[in-house]
Amino acid sequence: MTTKDKYKKVAYYPGCALEGSGHSYNRSTKAVGKALGLDLVEVKNWNCCGAMEVKNIDPKIQTYLSSRVMSTAANEMDMDVVMAPCNGCYHNLKKAEYDLANDTESAEVVDRLSKKAGHKTYESGQVETIHALDWIKEAIGEDGLAERVKNSLSGIKVANYYGCMYTRPRHIFPEKDQGPGSESTSKPHFMDDLLAAAGAENVDFPLKTACCGGAHTLSDSDTSTKLVLNILKAAKLSGADVIATECPTCHSGLEMHQIRAEKTLGETVDIKILYFTQLLGMALGLKAKKVGVHENINDSIKFLKERGLG
Amino acid sequence: MPIHEKSLIRPENLTTHEDLMLDGVDVSGHWSTFIETRVVKDYNESLQDEIAALPGGEQIHRCWQCGSCTNACTVNAINEDFNPRYWIYLIRMGMESELLRDKDIIWQCVSCNKCTYACPRDVFPEGVMKATAHWLERKGHTEKSPSTHFDEVFTEQIVKTGKIEESRTMRRFFSRTGQALAQPWMIEMVKRMLRGLPIGMLTRMGLATLVAPRTNDWSSASAAIQEYIDEQHEKQSQALSLAELVETAKQDVAA
Repeated sequence: MTTKDKYKKVAYYPGCALEGSGHSYNRSTKAVGKALGLDLVEVKNWNCCGAMEVKNIDPKIQTYLSSRVMSTAANEMDMDVVMAPCNGCYHNLKKAEYDLANDTESAEVVDRLSKKAGHKTYESGQVETIHALDWIKEAIGEDGLAERVKNSLSGIKVANYYGCMYTRPRHIFPEKDQGPGSESTSKPHFMDDLLAAAGAENVDFPLKTACCGGAHTLSDSDTSTKLVLNILKAAKLSGADVIATECPTCHSGLEMHQIRAEKTLGETVDIKILYFTQLLGMALGLKAKKVGVHENINDSIKFLKERGLG
Repeated sequence: MPIHEKSLIRPENLTTHEDLMLDGVDVSGHWSTFIETRVVKDYNESLQDEIAALPGGEQIHRCWQCGSCTNACTVNAINEDFNPRYWIYLIRMGMESELLRDKDIIWQCVSCNKCTYACPRDVFPEGVMKATAHWLERKGHTEKSPSTHFDEVFTEQIVKTGKIEESRTMRRFFSRTGQALAQPWMIEMVKRMLRGLPIGMLTRMGLATLVAPRTNDWSSASAAIQEYIDEQHEKQSQALSLAELVETAKQDVAA
């Protein structure tokens, strides 16, 4: 089996946000997978990964919650790879993987809870967790993607926004920063690579891994609005028409605080916000509706039509 | 100026004299500002151990005070009083009263992990911020922050059902923190949401608020998680000597 084949059929872990506010990310990820001939098998009866909130209450409970998802994929579905499009889920599964391999106390707690909950304990190394970016990059690659493009994204200037959880902290992502071909934690480029293959023009965007304040989007909204406003303005000043996102929390944070900045600070930044899977889907010839553009709060329908997309 | 001398130059600790001669030298005026003598006697020698007993604070003893955390900090960039390096210093020194001056902003850490990424000593400053915020709350120095309320509402729902349904979590959070849900920007957001959403999606979301999504056969996992949380809570209370704190408070009231 080649590396490419390994990623052609993966366990799909959408997570809670993709069933709610991130629904268009869910829709577009599945649509892109289908258009590329990739097979997504949803993790059976999954639970929340624990997110940041459970980690704050008790990090080991978050480790347990994430381990249960990986245990189901490995032990009940016999899958080797779990793909999580949400940065939060992806981060937490990676963190659980790291903790279970390196911290015996975490492993003991997870074993105790798994036994009480009545399922097999997840053993570190049973599955490989990847992000939707890794999935397309590994299973199809830039060349494969470029061959399949029907509507080039040419003329669309994109600021690629990766957020916090995709690259930080470094130690939970041992496969990153491994030289050419691997993802960089300081200057991530997988999304840039994929969108460039689809014809988009990536702008030089300095806030790729800045924080949108997603952790306190509701509990400290003023801070989040300031942070989001920085990101929106920097993207605009970099010459971008669109901010491409890869995380439902970042995406809805940008959308929400774009409006909040308008209403509370009187600052309007006219920039479109789309999931990278929505852009890729349209480049592959899918209709805007098929990739859920109408479900975004930030309205980009007219913008896309003018550029012959959707 | 060394970070630990910051408090020396607060306005209330500085004096200038209109008219003062010392040993025949005129030291009047702004050019010879005096720093008040400071004597610190109220060190809390168990402060570092208490923070280290809470999740996230375990590695605080490793800090070398290089300042990479504060230099990388997202929140520090918009509020210079938000200074992880300084707080770690105060905790390690046991300078509780200095730490308490910043008690109302420590919870504002956004967990972006830039500090943890930059830290050369694996202190995990992000975790230390969480531990410190929890310490302040559990010791009764501050009310529960909005962030803690959110974490609790969120965790309760997961323990109960295994999954999160966002609108339910939001409504519970707003009601627990006594905020109105219908803020102007929120109304505008919902308006724009409704613009593009097809009826099917609306019905689905409506249904989700009535029938929360849940993980099947969750009850034994739920019980195991709750048992663990309670057990840890009790352990932490002991590490923070909360029972003695309550006892002292009772005696104070009685006296």
